[in-house]
Amino acid sequence: MNIAILNGDSEAASPFQAYLLKLSQKLKDRGHTVIKLDLATLNLKGCSGCWGCWVKTPGECVKHDGSATVRRAIIDSDLTLLASPITMGFTSALLKRAADQMVPLIHPYFVVEGGEIHHRARYARYPLMALLLDAGEQADAEDIEMTTAIWRRTARNLKTRLAFTAVASRDAEEVANELTLVA
Amino acid sequence: MNSLLLLNGSPRGERSNSIKMLERIAEGWRRKGGTVEALHLARRDQFARAVTAFAEAETVLLGMPLYTDAMPAVVKEYIEALMPRVAAAKAGLRNPTLGFLVQSGFPEARHSRPVVRYLEKLAARLGSRYAGTIVRGGGGALEWMPEQANKKLWQQLRVLGEQLARDGQFGAAELKAIAGRERLGPLTVMLATLACKLPLTQSMWNKMLKENGVWERRFDAPYGPAFRP
Repeated sequence: MNIAILNGDSEAASPFQAYLLKLSQKLKDRGHTVIKLDLATLNLKGCSGCWGCWVKTPGECVKHDGSATVRRAIIDSDLTLLASPITMGFTSALLKRAADQMVPLIHPYFVVEGGEIHHRARYARYPLMALLLDAGEQADAEDIEMTTAIWRRTARNLKTRLAFTAVASRDAEEVANELTLVA
Repeated sequence: MNSLLLLNGSPRGERSNSIKMLERIAEGWRRKGGTVEALHLARRDQFARAVTAFAEAETVLLGMPLYTDAMPAVVKEYIEALMPRVAAAKAGLRNPTLGFLVQSGFPEARHSRPVVRYLEKLAARLGSRYAGTIVRGGGGALEWMPEQANKKLWQQLRVLGEQLARDGQFGAAELKAIAGRERLGPLTVMLATLACKLPLTQSMWNKMLKENGVWERRFDAPYGPAFRP
C-alpha cells in the first residue's frame, strides 16, 4: 500500500519528528511504500480563496508552490496520514495551510450526499485518511475528540473518510500495525 | 465597554464576504455609541497589530469563512500567536470578551458546528467571556445577490452588533434565526438532488469557467483518473 505522511510539525528537531521517522520505517518494514512530506520545507503559499483552481486552471492551484507535491502525493496514496502536534486545541496552522490548498482536488459543482450539500468529486478515487496527533502536555481528550470531529468532516468533503485517530504517545509498532489493518 | 476589535479572518481580506457581514455587526455596535478598530488578518502588518491589540481589547469579534470545514490557515496562525495569552490568563490577567462569525457557502449550519465547538472552547482556554458564534450559510451568494435581497441579513447582523455592545453577548434567539436550518429536510433533499442535476444550479460556476475560456477543461484531473458519474 502507498502511504503519504503529511508532516505538519514546523519544529525541525522535536520528539514528534523522531516518532514520525520511526513510524515511517516500521511501515516500510511491513512492505508499504511511504512518502513523508515535511510541509515546513515545501514553501506553501496558502489559499487566498480566489477560486482559480475551480474556474481558471481547473484542478490546479494558480499559485506555483509546493502544494502541487502535496496534492499529487494524496492522489497517489491509498492512505494519507495527517500528522501534527496539537497547538491551542487543534492541528497546526502549517497542516491547515496544506489542507486549504487541497480544494483543487474537488470540483465546484454542488451535489447532495448523505442528505447534505457537498461539492462534486474530481477524481475517481481518493485515499483513506487518518490522523496522528502529538497531544503534548496541553491537549486533553476533548481537544483530540474535537480535532477528530473537524477532520472527519474535512475528509468527507474530500470525498473520503477518516479511518482513525492515533496519538503519538502510543507505541509506533502498534500504530504501524493498525495503519496496515485499516487500508 | 465601548471599543470593539473587529478581526477579519478571510484570506480574501477587503474583498471578502466575511468583512461585508462583519461591517454590519460593527454598524450595530456603533449605534450603541461604541468605536471599532477593524483589521484584516490576511495583511501581514495588520496581523501583527491584531496580536498586540488583543491584549488591550475589551471585546474582540473574529470573523471567518469556513475553509475545509474549519478556520482558514491564517486564523489558526493568529490563534497560535495568542498562546502567550493563555499563560497570561492563568497568571490572573484579563482577556477580552470573544465573539465569532463563521460563514460558509453551504446552506446548512451543520457544516460549521464542529468548528463552533472548537471556538467556544478557545474562549474558555483564553479565560475569555464567550459572546457566542454567529453561523451563517449561503455566504458565497452574497456576491451575486442584489443589495435589496440581503437587507434582512444586514438588519439581523446590526441587531447582533447592538446586542454585543449592550449585553456583551449575542442573543440566543437571534443566533438561531440567522443560522437558519441546521440540516436539510427530506423534501429539500429531494428537490436539491434534482436541482443539482440542472445546469441552472451550477450556472454561476459555468459562467466563470466560460468567461475564463476553460469550460472544456472543467473536469480536468491532473493527478489521476477523473471521476465519471
